[in-house]
Amino acid sequence: MERREFIRLMAIAACFTPRMAAAKELPVVGVATGTDYGKITRNAISAVGGMKRFVKPGDVVVVKPNMGWDRTPEQAANTNPLVVRAVVEEVLAAGAKKVKVFDRTCNDERRCYANSGIQGALKGLPNVEVRFIENERFKKVLLNGEALKEWELYGEVLSANVFINVPVAKHHKLTGLTMGLKNIMGVMGGDRGKLHKQIGPALADVNAVLKSHLTVIDATRILTDHGPQGGDPADVKIMNTVIASTDIVAADAYATTLFGLKPADIPVTVAAAKRGIGEMELKKVRIVRV
Amino acid sequence: MNRTPARISQLFFLLLFLGLFLSTEYRGKDEIPAAVNSFFRADPLALATWLLAVKSFTLLLLPALLVLILTLVFGRFFCGWICPLGTILELVTGRIVKGKTPPWLVGRLKYLLLALLMGAALAGLNLAGILDPLAILLRAMTFFAHPLAGDAARTGWVGLYRVMGESRDYLAPGYSLLHDYLLPFRESSYPLAVLSALLLLTVILLERYGKRAWCRYLCPLGTLLGLLSRFSPVRRSPGRICGDCGECENVCPTVEEGKMPEGEECLLCFACRRGCGRSRVRFWFANPFKLRERPYLPARRFLLGGMAGGLLFARGLRWKSAEARERLLRPPGVRDEAEFLAACVRCGECMKVCLRSALYPAALQAGMEGLYTPLLVPRLGYCEYHCTLCGQVCPTGAIPNLPKGEKEREVVGKAVFDKNHCLPYAKKSNCIVCEEHCPIPRKAIRSRVVESLDLNGKKISLMEPYVVEELCNGCGICEHVCPLEGKSGVEIFGVKDKTPIAVAVAAKPAAKVRGGDEDPYK
Repeated sequence: MERREFIRLMAIAACFTPRMAAAKELPVVGVATGTDYGKITRNAISAVGGMKRFVKPGDVVVVKPNMGWDRTPEQAANTNPLVVRAVVEEVLAAGAKKVKVFDRTCNDERRCYANSGIQGALKGLPNVEVRFIENERFKKVLLNGEALKEWELYGEVLSANVFINVPVAKHHKLTGLTMGLKNIMGVMGGDRGKLHKQIGPALADVNAVLKSHLTVIDATRILTDHGPQGGDPADVKIMNTVIASTDIVAADAYATTLFGLKPADIPVTVAAAKRGIGEMELKKVRIVRV
Repeated sequence: MNRTPARISQLFFLLLFLGLFLSTEYRGKDEIPAAVNSFFRADPLALATWLLAVKSFTLLLLPALLVLILTLVFGRFFCGWICPLGTILELVTGRIVKGKTPPWLVGRLKYLLLALLMGAALAGLNLAGILDPLAILLRAMTFFAHPLAGDAARTGWVGLYRVMGESRDYLAPGYSLLHDYLLPFRESSYPLAVLSALLLLTVILLERYGKRAWCRYLCPLGTLLGLLSRFSPVRRSPGRICGDCGECENVCPTVEEGKMPEGEECLLCFACRRGCGRSRVRFWFANPFKLRERPYLPARRFLLGGMAGGLLFARGLRWKSAEARERLLRPPGVRDEAEFLAACVRCGECMKVCLRSALYPAALQAGMEGLYTPLLVPRLGYCEYHCTLCGQVCPTGAIPNLPKGEKEREVVGKAVFDKNHCLPYAKKSNCIVCEEHCPIPRKAIRSRVVESLDLNGKKISLMEPYVVEELCNGCGICEHVCPLEGKSGVEIFGVKDKTPIAVAVAAKPAAKVRGGDEDPYK
């Protein structure tokens, strides 16, 4: 082949391939609605290919809900226990050897685990560990990011085969909203308050290294104000929705619309999209409603 | 081994004390069904000083009244059958070499001590807990032994992780069992830990001067029960050691150089009755009208002098530094410092049970008069919004037992920002970790968005936090989580007016303004 011919061919190919690839691999966001929260959680997961796509028999799986606050399920500050239970059951059904569920809480961990309803909802499930964070398990991880060079991440997540991010969608005073990208803070060690100075880039740094294989956003009810903690029932809105995606940015972007906001309004989402962690343009996302 | 009914009862109550001590901890339920406060509620010394200091009555201390009445009838049975500190002394006394009892220890000193406590109580200062035997034991356990055990176990557990890595998980069930039922949940260390341990050690080392020397020569609870038992008609016969046997001398735990304890000093353990080879010893009710061989009150001078001394003493301990006064943060529900000092027995239970290890015993921060009383130190731990445990376990109601909804509105102090430290003000960088953690549903800490210049002169949008004083309950979580190292950018200060946050203000429906500056009353 002539050199010139080769270059021409390559140029033609370059014109086609990205678009073809995009057409083929449009990120999928499964959106399930209904009042049976266990069922809509399973539906949303099936919409993105089912749990077997992510979890192989014998895997160790971390399911990370948000249970950071001493609040009850109705107050919408923590992930709905029914959603967490459905995710864990799916993981077990896919043949996982062990499921680990934890969060680094803001209030007293015992009260958070108990009053979020999550500890109770998972009681009795086989091979499920709901343990408190043990500081010695944090490991320094090189992030080489824009805001963070390195940070301590929880060893249980680093050693797991699959990481499933199960946040609640809620208002957050500093970041506008908190969903999947910010839920990652629950596996971060150190003084997390210091991140607030540059929270968007910092969270992008962590999410770029620690990938959520699957993000399941609980929007059964959302906290519309006074987040991340809430407490006032007047701030809670029932949405009866669960969102699932392998693309954490797309999942967050979709959940943002439930608040009447645009993905571009949320700096954490913008920073992550800019970093190439996922797609925030909902036009470039395939939304599967079930 | 000693298997008398008294010893079995002693061991039972010692185990009960330890069991209740371990149950004085949050275990996933908002209510603690049984706590070690049961012992203090049955403590007549706590009752006596409470009555004198508070000058009213509380049903909480009804069991103590019962013990008091039983003591009037039967004598000093509490010391011989129940007191866990006494039991510990009897268990270790065999290992302590006995020496000659110094004369100053014997006799009147204990009456002086008791009178001092009573005098101070009359002046409104309840010092009983400092020398109360149950409190001495509990504090040594709470501030010293239990944290030490927790720390040791935790260090070992972490050490195992360094050695074994993830395979430590195989041992996790065993450690969980230990951690869930025997060890403190959180590793905290306490001020006065060593003093608390030394106090208990001193009591134990006093055994050098005879069996249960503390109980006979110093213990104010024992002395009080002794005084009461003078009215008891129960008498031992024969009244002295028989010349032909003398076996009681060997078995009696409080015998003193050939003299069997009488009335006030007898702990009713019945060891002499069981030990009597000739079955002569019996305890029975004597005719109470024929029991006038001694005056009811010993050394009146000592009692009156002690009382007067206590009154003066209480005044003398008042002083506290201005800085201490500003940061005098009491547990939630305590509204008046004077009332608190009258009612608190300084047993340490609130500090034991505190979820977030926010309560610490005061050394001098509350003045000399406040030694061992609980103080909230927000930088070390905050008051958990929905938690009501300290009020539940307080044996005397010094910390009121309030339902959740009420406790949440009780004011500990008020938050104040220090703009020279707080990040958005001092460093022009966004933070609001405090607002995020503020548990008040309508937020006592809020922020307004302002256009500002950062330190490089670049235009930025900045969230500047401020306190809505009407809503702040002073729980201290803002000060606790402030990410600044060293001095926090927001701090809780004590306030005189501790009127609870009004229901009307706390429950107003939320205004739907995001990120804006809201009027708390709108």
